[in-house]
Amino acid sequence: MARDNRPALFHLCRARDLLADVSSPAVSIGVAAREASLSSCHFIRRFAAVFGETPHQFRTRERLTAAQRLLARGHSVTDVCMEVGFSSLGSFSALFSRRIGVSPASYQRSLRCSVFVPDWTPHPPSCLLWMGGDEAIAIFEKTWRRR
Amino acid sequence: MRIKLISIFVDDQDKALRFYTELLGFRKKQDFPVGGARWITVTSPEGPDDLELVLEPNGHPAASAYQSALLKDGIPCTAFESMAIHDEVRRLKAKGVVFTMEPTVAGKVTIAIFSDTCGNLIQIYQQ
Repeated sequence: MARDNRPALFHLCRARDLLADVSSPAVSIGVAAREASLSSCHFIRRFAAVFGETPHQFRTRERLTAAQRLLARGHSVTDVCMEVGFSSLGSFSALFSRRIGVSPASYQRSLRCSVFVPDWTPHPPSCLLWMGGDEAIAIFEKTWRRR
Repeated sequence: MRIKLISIFVDDQDKALRFYTELLGFRKKQDFPVGGARWITVTSPEGPDDLELVLEPNGHPAASAYQSALLKDGIPCTAFESMAIHDEVRRLKAKGVVFTMEPTVAGKVTIAIFSDTCGNLIQIYQQ
């Protein structure tokens, strides 16, 4: 990336936004590369250098994050699979299990005791909890599961 | 009252820990699970051992929006001091770090900006 090349970074970010939109039909690498005004090969290399993962790895991670949010909101595993752009329930479940550590159904069950589920995966307000140590973390977990 | 922790949002905590330790050379100080994420802090071997940088997940929509907006506009989210910025830039480039601004004299300081691969631009400066 050239000296203080903000436009190039901006276009790369625009391309990343396209790839992050899991609700739209799969955006090809070629389309994303054009958004960044780069050839596909150069785009993949540049994307990996700036964002630490290939466009494909990024899109997969975004799809799984979206899947976690939708599962937390109570959508069925099959619906989530389709909504985040997977065509096969088997491959979705296998990938989800490999990356998240539990199956989509298990992940959803672990949140089911919650009455109110926000559309993002909760985590404690870290600084406060860190100061409070294990006891504060236990209180957060208990409170979260009651909500 | 004193400054003990500074946090930055990262889009992937594993990736962030690798970048900040293996590429930047910081040391892992804390790493334990908290809720659905982890409490990860690193310190600089060139700075005080109890001044910690928290690698905080950007799971909240506002956090990712904030990160994305700064990145698009080329604005660094924080800055680290270097005693030898040109050597530092050479060292990081050799490891594949991408700079969006080469070392540039700006008044009394020389600054450079790089991508931390986790959705942030980081400025380094030498006084």
